[in-house]
Amino acid sequence: MRNKKVHITIIAIFIAIISVSLYYILKEPINLGLDLKGGTQIILKPTERGGEEVTTQSLDKAMLIIMDRIDKLGISEPLVTKDLSKNIVIQLPGVKDPDKAKEIIGKTAQLEFRLVTGTFISIKNQKWDTLKFDYEKGELVIDPDAEKVLLVDDINALVSGNLYEIDGELLSDPESEEMLLVKYSGEDNQETDVEGSSTGDGSESNVDINIDPEKVIGKIIYKPETRELLLVDYKDESELGEILVDSRNDAATLVGPVLLTGDKLAKVAAGYGTNGEIRVALSFKDEGVEIFKEITSENIGRNLAIVLDEEIKSAPYIKVPITDGDAEITGISSIEEAKNVELVLQTGALPVNLQIEESSFVGPTLGMDSLNKGLYAGIIGFILIIVFMLFYYKGLGIYSALGLIIYIIIFWGVMSGIGAALTLPGIAGIILTIGIAVDANVIIFERIKEEILKAKSPRIAIGYGFKNALRTIVDSNVTTLITAAALFRFGTGPIKGFAVTLSLGVVISMIISLLFTRSIIFLMSGISRINTPGFLGVRRRSGE
Amino acid sequence: MRFKNYNFDFIGKSKILIIISLVMIIAGIAGYFIQGGFNLGIDFLGGSLMEVEFTRDVDVAEVRSVMNDIGFGNAILQRTESNRFIIRTKAKELGVPISTEEKKEILDSLDEKIGTTGPPLQDRNVDPGFGKQITKNAFKAIGISFVGILIYVWIRFELRFGAAAILALVHDVLVTLGVYAILNREINTSTIAAILTIIGYSINDTIVVFDRIRENTPMTGKLGYTKVVNDSINVTLSRSINTSLTTLIPIILLLILGTAALKDFALALTVGIVTGTYSSMFIASPIVVAWNNRFPKYKK
Repeated sequence: MRNKKVHITIIAIFIAIISVSLYYILKEPINLGLDLKGGTQIILKPTERGGEEVTTQSLDKAMLIIMDRIDKLGISEPLVTKDLSKNIVIQLPGVKDPDKAKEIIGKTAQLEFRLVTGTFISIKNQKWDTLKFDYEKGELVIDPDAEKVLLVDDINALVSGNLYEIDGELLSDPESEEMLLVKYSGEDNQETDVEGSSTGDGSESNVDINIDPEKVIGKIIYKPETRELLLVDYKDESELGEILVDSRNDAATLVGPVLLTGDKLAKVAAGYGTNGEIRVALSFKDEGVEIFKEITSENIGRNLAIVLDEEIKSAPYIKVPITDGDAEITGISSIEEAKNVELVLQTGALPVNLQIEESSFVGPTLGMDSLNKGLYAGIIGFILIIVFMLFYYKGLGIYSALGLIIYIIIFWGVMSGIGAALTLPGIAGIILTIGIAVDANVIIFERIKEEILKAKSPRIAIGYGFKNALRTIVDSNVTTLITAAALFRFGTGPIKGFAVTLSLGVVISMIISLLFTRSIIFLMSGISRINTPGFLGVRRRSGE
Repeated sequence: MRFKNYNFDFIGKSKILIIISLVMIIAGIAGYFIQGGFNLGIDFLGGSLMEVEFTRDVDVAEVRSVMNDIGFGNAILQRTESNRFIIRTKAKELGVPISTEEKKEILDSLDEKIGTTGPPLQDRNVDPGFGKQITKNAFKAIGISFVGILIYVWIRFELRFGAAAILALVHDVLVTLGVYAILNREINTSTIAAILTIIGYSINDTIVVFDRIRENTPMTGKLGYTKVVNDSINVTLSRSINTSLTTLIPIILLLILGTAALKDFALALTVGIVTGTYSSMFIASPIVVAWNNRFPKYKK
């Protein structure tokens, strides 16, 4: 009789669990993953910037800034998380255009003010042209037919025909293949004092060049990890300048050290200037105003490059010292771009550089399709399994059907209750667990049948069946949980969802068959009419 | 489906059964070389993928010809519905996602020449570097699962059972991958998840058989170890087949009724569950017997 009480208690507990599950199912709709409800996912890999390593702090700060930017974009329910490999994973439900989001979210937004110190030009057929910087290869693009490559201090003066100076000539060292900047003392014609330099084919002449080490000023080196092309001193490798691309004309421009950065900004506003040009107006905090005044008063007559994310946006000529701390960024092609610049500057520069590893967009159609078809397959599968169990295990099959229905209710309730996201692979996980949920029943029923065949009474057979099956069921479910754990640890978003549904399904179904099904079978076995070997799916033959 | 009255000689026939398995694995390896390796998805290689819906039914040739015209003849096309295609493109350099401009060119051309219902249904771009990271993680996950299962089975049974179980699992994974190689089906992260699930699931049948062997081991003195193992397989036969069947029913329905992505998952699971059931009876148990023959522990 005590056993009976235990069984009734267990069933009462399950009825309570089912009620709670039903409550959650009705109250909270199941949380759909991004791949089912549609949206954009961007995975960003942080890389060091300016020689500073990526730390947990800098990563967290980057995530906060990203959240801020997403908020400003007006995207609802965003999710910004870190994955195992310290990538930043951004989920934006409902966002249809990953490219736009990508541009704003991943932008470093490092604003720098640096003096322009020179521009590289190549001379061919008495004409000159500016050089370009190839970011992919990390080198300057030099026309092989160019007669010479020079560094001039003031490109604007060259254009307008005013005074400019030639700071050096760029030559390729035939031995080390390094690009060297050599003192230029020749006139601006074909004859130079560099030995062996010929007026003929430029690429051939390079081979014969004898470079006088005394005249070498510096060399150009590329740092792939930071994507910096630097001009460094030939002897001690100290930095003489960095080569950046001027966004207005693609010219490779040499700039000096960073004098002021965007973190000293007080206000940023996108709009139109007095001449109707698109601009972003900047004003500095007090500290910035002072520095800006200093820079502008010390460098009258020079060009101050305004650099945003390693690209020169504009380089205004300093006519008079600027004392009020107002500046502007021009050279922006559209008002949308200006607004983007405003947004990223307002939210501050990211402490790390971010590289896009994956960007994906899934429309809601595909997800809903999968959900409906998965549901359809699940319902038919559920019916077929019950038919199979009833056919094969007769009366015991009723218990499986009951157990399976309860399994689905509790599973659904737990998913809703804990707010776990159902992903597309997760659908497959649920379908799979419907099958796995019956597994435990099969193990138990087979054992019961076996015991009955050994001529034990049904009641005793049921007891033995559960006892012997317990170990097998636990063993086989633990191994499934081991792999689910590995999947959860190493999988990406949707796969994690699969691991969650699989683990939940395995645990819930195991608890149901070992407790609920057991108790209900025991209680029912007290009723003699249904407690026959035939009901249990066994036809005892005479003599067996 | 009454197997109880049968008494198959699993161990006696084990040589033939192992040869059958080897033939399947070799066929998979041959398929691998004939097809020129696995058909790896952008998750592993990097690149771009778009699923486009057309306003009418189209065939591969039509989409292919449009892609050829704009210089994307090497795109991989997969028809998911009568009017839907997944288009995997490769930029100049292998694996690098194509640019926004190139994407626009493709979509505009398809819209102009065939007619699309709007923006792509899905659009994924993966950097090749990220693909390497995913590959590394997939191997780690599989490795950790194997080690975890070996340790668990070792603790619960004996090392020899653990080793035999792992060999059976390796067999299942090889056969499943072989089927993917022969069919030239795309392998993506879902496939890896499915393979890991197979690892976790197909060990179940093996454990059930091992459990029975352990239970019947005291009879070794009377019957001999070979007979003990053979009887254990026979007695658990209907259980092994029935559990596989109940699991297979919904999975096969998913394979028939599901969307392209769900079908991918279901295929790996179907193959894995079938081979898993096979290997627990025909691979894992004979190994345990062979091990005992070589290093006798249970004697008659």
